[in-house]
Amino acid sequence: MKSVTTVIVGAGQSGLAMSRALTNRGVDHLVLDRGAVANAWRTERWDSLRLLTPNWANGLPGVPYGGPDPHGYMAVSELVARFDDYARRIDAPIAGRTEVSRITGMDGGFRLRTNRGPIGCRSLVLATGACAKAHVPELSGAVPPAIFQTTPAAYKRPDDLPQGGVLIVGASASGVQLAREIQASGRQVMLAVGWHVRLPRTYRGRDIEWWLDAIGVLDERFDAVDDLERVRRTPSPQLIGGSEPVDLNALQDHGIQIVGRLVDIRDDRALFSGGLANVCMSADLKMNRLLDTIDAWIRDRDLEDIVPPPTRHEPTRLPQVPVLARKLADGGVRSVVWATGYRPDFSYLDVPVLDRRGRLRHAGGVAAIPGLYAMGLTFMRRRRSHQISGVSDDAADLATHLRAFLDGRAGIAA
Amino acid sequence: MTLQTGNKTVNNGVDVEALLGARTAIEETPEAGQFTWRARCAWIDGVQSRTTVDGFFGLGEEQARKAPFTIEADHPEQFAATDRGPTPVELVMSALASCLTAGVASVAQNRGIQLKSVQASVEGDMDLAGVLGANADVRNGFSAIRVSFAIDADATREELAALVAQSQKRSAVFDIVTNPTNVHVTVA
Repeated sequence: MKSVTTVIVGAGQSGLAMSRALTNRGVDHLVLDRGAVANAWRTERWDSLRLLTPNWANGLPGVPYGGPDPHGYMAVSELVARFDDYARRIDAPIAGRTEVSRITGMDGGFRLRTNRGPIGCRSLVLATGACAKAHVPELSGAVPPAIFQTTPAAYKRPDDLPQGGVLIVGASASGVQLAREIQASGRQVMLAVGWHVRLPRTYRGRDIEWWLDAIGVLDERFDAVDDLERVRRTPSPQLIGGSEPVDLNALQDHGIQIVGRLVDIRDDRALFSGGLANVCMSADLKMNRLLDTIDAWIRDRDLEDIVPPPTRHEPTRLPQVPVLARKLADGGVRSVVWATGYRPDFSYLDVPVLDRRGRLRHAGGVAAIPGLYAMGLTFMRRRRSHQISGVSDDAADLATHLRAFLDGRAGIAA
Repeated sequence: MTLQTGNKTVNNGVDVEALLGARTAIEETPEAGQFTWRARCAWIDGVQSRTTVDGFFGLGEEQARKAPFTIEADHPEQFAATDRGPTPVELVMSALASCLTAGVASVAQNRGIQLKSVQASVEGDMDLAGVLGANADVRNGFSAIRVSFAIDADATREELAALVAQSQKRSAVFDIVTNPTNVHVTVA
């Protein structure tokens, strides 16, 4: 059996950042990926996708963005090229096309079963991230068989869908972006809206990500928030990498019909929650509270004179009578897009470290079993942990912990 | 919405610590959170009936109330009835208002907001063509429900709006009336 001190599973931003951090600490390691560098970005994202964060926020550890358009939003193809370049630059020891099917514990470490033979290691970093698989609710089984179903991980472009009506379930970043382009392709979109996060792309002359960074929200630590479980469930914001608004008002201006959360499908009828007004009002309230926080930050620093004045957005408009039920096949719906979020995938992990809901038990990325670490999970150590800008500090913290573990020293505090 | 430590000087009569403790207990022992609520309804005469609630299953065992509670329902004289109690649909409206009001008090306590008064007014629109079977296209139930809260409290308008929003988010009856539920009715 091949043996290496540390294995990193996944060669995305998390795996690459960890590889560099381990190299800097003299830890012999191997980065495994089922495909190539940035595999999910290459194969499981749609054609038009641009990053939600501006380019200046998308540097990798030691290599800040140095391109010509710091305030733009890069296409995925550019991101992939940058990751490839980064992997070469840091000389990451990557074993591509290596799919891990099972990980078990063994004396003094872990044993990985892969399509290229077994690998043994003393410590392990799971860097497959927060978005390893698209989540599809069980309800999908009740969709009539004639209707085409897909997820943002499989969808590439509107013409992948049959002509006719489209039900998009979920109004977070993926759902609102796909709603916009699918509606523009001539297919009538109905968007089922549950709990969501409304954010403006820019505020007082800056990108919203700039403000979140400046006021310190993105650096809030996992051990400093009151209800971490709830914060980790916060959906992605209704944003797009570009200047066109994709909030529910803008989508309705484009002719998209908004309805409440999809709660059941009976025979051919989709049933939607009557609570649409509350989820919209809650999102408006939370957005305005965040903007108030930004205003206070500006006021406290006497910057009122050098930034544009505050503005507020029109509250989310609701249909006069939101639709509660809709026939699917008989009502002209030809496809359903499940934009119901992504989940980590630890199904290959045969080590007793998952909780009863299949989630990794960890404190800030230090798993409940010595020598096991995670990277890139939602709010893993900081609010920015799942973003590209989050991997640098997380990798440094966890690589230091891992090095201490290998040296037999008590790990630093998680 | 950030949980805030309840301000000790605020007293809405809700034991928030006990509720948060119960949540922690149920996260650790999910079985304890499996409840079955029960009610028994007996026909009296005409369209009048009396429902009794005296126990439920929860925390892993049968639980008894301090005393049996009864709720009578009837219909108004305009329905050729005896008008000895509210109609069942008014009881549903009452349940919704009570549930949301309890939520407002709990969330206010948790957020350190002292309530002075809370009034909820509920209206439910209904086209009787549904229940009377006069028009198959009209549903039996409400076509819309409106709840209006008048709250006197030491809080801003935004804080009160957030209070009412969170109350809806955590309300059982709001969920029951806005979302479908599988209902099985059998004959013993």
